[in-house]
Amino acid sequence: MADKKVSKKDIARLLEQWSRQFTVFAPSKESGVAAMAEWDGKDTGFLDWYRNTIIPPKASFLPQMEEMFHFQKGEEGYNIKTPPADERSRLLFGVRPCDARAMAIVDMTFKDAYEDPYYLSKRKNAVLVGLGCTNPCESCFCTSMGTNPTDQTNVDLMLIDIGDEFLIEEVTAKGKELIAKTKDLKEAAKNDEAKATQSKKTAYDRVTRKLDTEGIKDRLLASFDDKEYWEQTAAKCISCGICTLLCPTCYCFDINDEMVKQEGTRFRSWDSCGFPNYTKMPMENPRQEKWRRVRQKVCHKYEFYPMTFDVIACTGCGRCIRLCPVNWDITRVIESVPDKAEAKK
Amino acid sequence: MTVNDTRFFAQGNVYLPHIAVIEKIVEETPGVRTYHFNFKDEKLRKEFTFQSGQFGQYSVLGTGEATFCISSSPTRPDHLEFAVQKVGRVTNALSRLGVGAEIGFRGPYGNSFPLESLKGKNLVFVGGGIGLAPLRSLIWNVIDNRDKYKKIDIVYGARTPVDLCFKYDLESWGKDKTINMVTTVDRGDDSWKGKVGVVPKILEEIAPPARDTVAIVCGPPIMIRFTFPVLEKLGFKPEQMLTTLEKRMKCGIGKCGRCNIGNLYVCKDGPVFSYAQIKDFVSSEY
Repeated sequence: MADKKVSKKDIARLLEQWSRQFTVFAPSKESGVAAMAEWDGKDTGFLDWYRNTIIPPKASFLPQMEEMFHFQKGEEGYNIKTPPADERSRLLFGVRPCDARAMAIVDMTFKDAYEDPYYLSKRKNAVLVGLGCTNPCESCFCTSMGTNPTDQTNVDLMLIDIGDEFLIEEVTAKGKELIAKTKDLKEAAKNDEAKATQSKKTAYDRVTRKLDTEGIKDRLLASFDDKEYWEQTAAKCISCGICTLLCPTCYCFDINDEMVKQEGTRFRSWDSCGFPNYTKMPMENPRQEKWRRVRQKVCHKYEFYPMTFDVIACTGCGRCIRLCPVNWDITRVIESVPDKAEAKK
Repeated sequence: MTVNDTRFFAQGNVYLPHIAVIEKIVEETPGVRTYHFNFKDEKLRKEFTFQSGQFGQYSVLGTGEATFCISSSPTRPDHLEFAVQKVGRVTNALSRLGVGAEIGFRGPYGNSFPLESLKGKNLVFVGGGIGLAPLRSLIWNVIDNRDKYKKIDIVYGARTPVDLCFKYDLESWGKDKTINMVTTVDRGDDSWKGKVGVVPKILEEIAPPARDTVAIVCGPPIMIRFTFPVLEKLGFKPEQMLTTLEKRMKCGIGKCGRCNIGNLYVCKDGPVFSYAQIKDFVSSEY
């Protein structure tokens, strides 16, 4: 079966069609920052401005704040009620390959050992429609991190920009099924495949930032106690937490209660290893000092996650570089981790 | 990674607490209390099992959750116990609750002391302050199956005589002819007849032989840090030293991110670790 394609001007009609079956999410600036938001039914203006969202699409499955349960204190004691599971079928349109890979990485944690019902109930019914990049940012380094601007590995469908149209790559069974049911798609022409290949190559070549991660796990292990290196690395960090909160592979959360009179809510919200309170216990805090927190952030991604799940928990999306208020740069940090031989204990 | 296969989920959701009722409160020291509790649900009360070393997430609903080990032994299953020092938000809220009050409990979580591999061995328990709580679950477990283990030493210390927890246990173990019980304090008072000195130093004096022995250590981080080198000096190999660690936790199940030591999460890979597992990171992360 030949590939399908869709005109850029027909994207609204396509999303409108999919909206009948799914809750469609698409890039939006509605909230003031670029994020995946519930599609409003008409706007496709993002096709002009969209390079990537500021808030990563993980937020569709791990919201910034989420109710876990509600409780009420009555004469018979406490009564606990969970909100109905959010099992809407979500279709995320325009996911970038770096973020799709990040979600596969986050899935590992939420599926591991004990399943996380809040995350997985949303995630399991989701369809990811990828949108290949044409204009990567200077801070992007995906091609060094196991993916690339048009990588289809972690999405159900991948759209490749071929000028006025997108060529649709059907990746998973879920994706194929969706395309089979979708009306008004065009058949790809003979030379569209060649156009797609060219478009992919152009995008790939535009990712100019490179990072060599060879042996990084061992270098970090050897440098773990190199306090001088970590202090230097952390010197300009202001512990704002942005690089973790907006990282597509970060998933840390806090759990808190709120209670008014006899009723309350337990909710969870994003948290960051960049904050001193994150590990604070009443009598001790193992990461009171900033360099220990910066070390945790770097090592978690490039040393601990590989030790546990055999994958670096960074996909080169570049957000932490683009959004850092003091120009802290993870690629420079990773490059400057001392070699084993030089590491000071 | 080891995760206990026995799972007790309220409504199938790992984050929902079971409601439990406080049955008794024991004043251990001026700041430390032991709470005896049981589940409200009768079926759960009968079916709930755990192993020495495991912990729970305890809720004072409206205030929040905190992590404490189960300090009672599974060999004495008519109720469960945990012991806390009044130092944080949840422990302060707990201190305002009385017998009959309801708390939330999730668990049991984490791994446990490797009972099978401790059988037929000499055991040296090294505890400090409220760090005796998790050891206590194992000590009673071992005493209730005494013939399965060889020599037992217990070295326990606190800052001052008033700060000694579980005094009723210390007394009972002291009377037990099959146990060598040594109690010490950092600073004695006029009536104190026992040893004076920090736990690692007293341990070095007693010098239990390392052969066929496993040391189980729990106490404040500083005590743990100074105890490992003493044990190494006595000939213990890192594999022969066990500890159970405490870190700030939120989820208890390896998701929320904060309780790691290196690549290991205290909640799901621990809380029981051998020194061999954590020695690369322990010097600067604990």
